[in-house]
Amino acid sequence: MTAKERVRIAMQGGIPDRVPVMCQLAAGHYFLYSGIDPLDIWYTTEGFAEALIAMQERYQFDGILVNMHGRPAQWSAFLDRIEDRGREKWLFWKNGDYTVFPPDDNPHYFKTDGSSGCPTFEEIDPDRLYYVEPWQISGISYPFCWDFGEERPKDDFFPPYINDSLKRVIDRVGDRVSVHGEVFSPFSQFLELLNYEDALMGLLVDPDKAHACLSALTKGTIELGILEARCRADAVLISSAFAGSGFISRELYREFVLPYEQQVVQGIQAVADVPVYTHTCGGIGDRLDLMMETGTNGIDTLDPPPLGTVELEEAIAQTKGKVFIKGNLDAVNELLKGTPEDIARAVHKRLDIAKPGGGYILSTACSVAPKTAPERLEYMSQLGREFGTYP
Amino acid sequence: MEHLLEQIAHCIEFGKVNEAASYPPEMKGQPGADEWTLTALQQGFSPEDILQKGFIRGMDRVGEKFAAHQIFVPQMLLSAKAMTTAMRHLQPFFQSGEAKKRGTFVIGTVAGDLHEIGKNLAGMMIAGNGWDVIDLGKDVKTERFAETVRQHPGCAVGLSALLTTTMEHMADTVNALKKEFPGLRILVGGAPVNAAFCSEIGADFYAANPQTAVQYLKEISVQ
Repeated sequence: MTAKERVRIAMQGGIPDRVPVMCQLAAGHYFLYSGIDPLDIWYTTEGFAEALIAMQERYQFDGILVNMHGRPAQWSAFLDRIEDRGREKWLFWKNGDYTVFPPDDNPHYFKTDGSSGCPTFEEIDPDRLYYVEPWQISGISYPFCWDFGEERPKDDFFPPYINDSLKRVIDRVGDRVSVHGEVFSPFSQFLELLNYEDALMGLLVDPDKAHACLSALTKGTIELGILEARCRADAVLISSAFAGSGFISRELYREFVLPYEQQVVQGIQAVADVPVYTHTCGGIGDRLDLMMETGTNGIDTLDPPPLGTVELEEAIAQTKGKVFIKGNLDAVNELLKGTPEDIARAVHKRLDIAKPGGGYILSTACSVAPKTAPERLEYMSQLGREFGTYP
Repeated sequence: MEHLLEQIAHCIEFGKVNEAASYPPEMKGQPGADEWTLTALQQGFSPEDILQKGFIRGMDRVGEKFAAHQIFVPQMLLSAKAMTTAMRHLQPFFQSGEAKKRGTFVIGTVAGDLHEIGKNLAGMMIAGNGWDVIDLGKDVKTERFAETVRQHPGCAVGLSALLTTTMEHMADTVNALKKEFPGLRILVGGAPVNAAFCSEIGADFYAANPQTAVQYLKEISVQ
């Protein structure tokens, strides 16, 4: 059985030959351990695709999540100079803006005056929203523009290179490894666009406008998900950060997250036969039922305490036979900081609870932390492969 | 008369900033914390009473409800906004010494970390509890913390980190600050941080949420 088939069966809730193993890695982990120049990973389609494949091969993961989009081939034409400042690189762009690039974490883009460039809730017009990609190379802007480009019309919103990383990974390993695309949820985009606090207050201060924004962002999200599915992605992940109990109540989730993610799932699956699953980190133990109401095919992360609130036994009881689940290993306290014995205990515990009956993918809950030693991940993966087999 | 101070506390508790604010809908058109504070001052309430029985009482309720998961970040942000808007009327009295803060609290997100929301919530809660909060913002280098502590002897410091990568910068900052200011109280918080990590790096208190930070600062301020 190929890794691709293994993941497909697990995503269908079935029992493959063994529990698939597949983790999402922080960008910093690729920077530190893939052997590829971090600038190439972040700014080039080829560099990122190669880093994804290199780490998948090293850890023998059954799947790859392509969680950044393709980059424009001429990205360096926008660059003025690069300066080394301590441990960071500072990239100065020809438009006067700059990017601070640490060696082990996502770079951050700043306007000339040092601000983020995020608009206020009052400033935005829902009619000008379609999709917001927080990790594109020229940061957040309003109206949203891709990678130093101009504002694009909604009927030609996504640049032609948008799925080049995904296509490249699929071309290279897609016949045997499960390759997943990613879209940001409308709620995550809304928060990223407004730098979080303004958006969170906006939900209460002007709920009608917040709904109009989310509704507009939903349309772009569906289109991007469909584009990814048409590239032959094996699944589409909805990255839905900030929707856990660390930020919002169940009531706010029901009003501002659920209906839009439901539309995203339905909209993609109306035209593409592809599993869609949802990644929400932090406290989701109190809202697994609401997440399932979105129609999602699977739930990713399932952060256990203290980072989150999910007790795996309870999650299994709620989700078994309804959605597949992926995650629950504590990326910080077990993988990054735990002893090898801790890692072994952690893997065995998840397999004991979640393996029976299938529908489980062994994974860290949230992303693998940048400085997690590769040997730890190799060990975790090896344990998963060895003890995750089904009779 | 006490009714007026309770109005301030009530507006802060429910995030009613001013009369123009549409939130909460059930208080639409009514005065908010801003107007009630001004009225209280005009009616002769001491700034100290307004702070203690209006602001701190209101923010205490907010903190308790947040810790009990009865309210969440959006509600808390609006309560903090109501508090900071009204607090502007008290600033002249703090500057003249007519009203006294509990102490000075220096807060910032550690070097390399650009996440602010947890730090902001903690800062606002602590300010609402009568502390003079100096918010150094995000991506704050150790030297900037040290320089601020030198300028404010007797202050306490709060460090926030949301990333596993920046937790080590938190450790470096604690180490450097404790070396130069052995008696300095340092609080730490953030998603990947826990009590064990706090102890490991030599910080004094792990704040799991803003309310526990407020409680800890209350305890050390009466010692």
